[in-house]
Amino acid sequence: MITRAQILTLILNRLKMLGEELHKPALVQATEQTRLFGDKADLDSMGLVTLIADLEYDLQQHVGRSVSLVDEKAMSRLTSPFRRVDYLADYLVELLNVPKS
Amino acid sequence: MNFWLHERFKKFNTKPALVGTWGEFSYADLANLTEKIESEFSSLAGKDFTTIGLVGDCCPASVAWMIAAERLQHWVVPLVDHAQETADKLNQIHAQWVVITEGSTWKIYPRAAVGKLELSNNQSIPVSHAGLVLFSSGTSGNPKAMLQDLSNLLSTYESRHENSLVILSLLGFDHIGGINTILGGLAAGSLIVIPESRAPDQVADVIKKHHVAILPATPTFLNLLLLATFDRLADLASLRLITYGTEPMPEALLARLHQVLPSVRLIQTFGTTETGILKTESPEVDSNFLRINDPNVEWKIVNDELWLKTRTQIRGYLNASNEKFTDDGWFMTGDKVEVGPNDTLRILGRSGEMINVGGQKLMPTEVESVILSVPGVVDCRVFGEKNAMVGQTVAADIIPQAGQNWETLRALIRQTCRQTLSTYKVPTRLNLVTAISTNRLKKQRTS
Repeated sequence: MITRAQILTLILNRLKMLGEELHKPALVQATEQTRLFGDKADLDSMGLVTLIADLEYDLQQHVGRSVSLVDEKAMSRLTSPFRRVDYLADYLVELLNVPKS
Repeated sequence: MNFWLHERFKKFNTKPALVGTWGEFSYADLANLTEKIESEFSSLAGKDFTTIGLVGDCCPASVAWMIAAERLQHWVVPLVDHAQETADKLNQIHAQWVVITEGSTWKIYPRAAVGKLELSNNQSIPVSHAGLVLFSSGTSGNPKAMLQDLSNLLSTYESRHENSLVILSLLGFDHIGGINTILGGLAAGSLIVIPESRAPDQVADVIKKHHVAILPATPTFLNLLLLATFDRLADLASLRLITYGTEPMPEALLARLHQVLPSVRLIQTFGTTETGILKTESPEVDSNFLRINDPNVEWKIVNDELWLKTRTQIRGYLNASNEKFTDDGWFMTGDKVEVGPNDTLRILGRSGEMINVGGQKLMPTEVESVILSVPGVVDCRVFGEKNAMVGQTVAADIIPQAGQNWETLRALIRQTCRQTLSTYKVPTRLNLVTAISTNRLKKQRTS
């Protein structure tokens, strides 16, 4: 079982590493409110794709099965899970069907 | 030489031609810039044939240099890549001059290179014609340099009728699709808007600010545009036509575009660097079937693969064999197609190993050779992975040396790839494996 808090830690850790790789301090200090994609966001499309691939790897390590974060359903949601850290965390909670902590 | 274009620029006079971060340039400004370049370069380099590497994003100086090179009957090679890749390409094509452009300014540098490259098929372009050298992903991983008859290409735009539409140019100045947008738009007196960045939210700002009517884009870009602007779709209200191409269009995305942008006409385009851009139409709004409707194009299907013969096809390759062309001039596109009713076609995508990341293509070997140079990597295999956001992404299976820390190695591989390759070529997924599922690489390295 993985909790929302653990998911959030995974996202923020990966953003920190990506921020260091890409020399983007705002990502290193990311919070729940950090924008991922779109207006005033620090990730470009390939950065976002990389973050998602990294998270899929982490989640597989945690839950022991492969997890796919991006599909047509995710892309066509009215509130995109890829716009902000907290939206992504909520989406992963829903996707992995874990209780909210 | 295409005198008509310069005359048209003078006729369009004060009409705006290009707008970007460097300001607005009228057709008269562009004509003056072209004349200035012609005179400056002729006095510097003489009248003899030469090859010019044109390094810089699309801007008034880049456009004027391409037009001036055509008038001076030189070869011009637009390059907007990663610095390392640009240097390699300049070497490959024996560029004798490098012009670095920015806004309406440029700097000219001579290079120590001599001689004119010959085409591998022993063909040539008429001496009175200029050449355009473009690169595409080669099967060996080494980008293929191909020679287009620039004077011939330019002449195909002469029939364009004047309009005052605003077009956004999104594809690169080193891409046949981007060059088609620029030259076609300028021949018709349109205003071409060059965005500062291709980030979807910033492009949306530019569309709103300049009332852009025509947006040529890739399906991936459109996917990301919807993702970034779902709460500000009104900013896209000026759009009338979206043309899309360079990668297959997922049906779900096409349906979504129709739903959220109901007043926009969506037309699929098709083209390759080898053949130029074809005129096409999309007979059904909700279908990704297209019909080729171009008097300059012949097409046929051989073993489900699309073969083309066009008036704007390249004269040949400078650093690769002509194996993609038949002896009687058909270009084997490598694209698998499905035939629909009434001579329509659906592009299913590339056969073979080519990876298409949001419309930008690469071969696995190009990335494999970089990964193999990383200390701690024993072997690797690079492949394309389906992705709902950007069509395909680059993934790699890696065999590390025994005792190697995986997280450290992953970071090192990414860092090395970022330093050496364009962003879209950097693998987004790295898998730790104990065996490589194909022996292709080992064979290549030992052969």
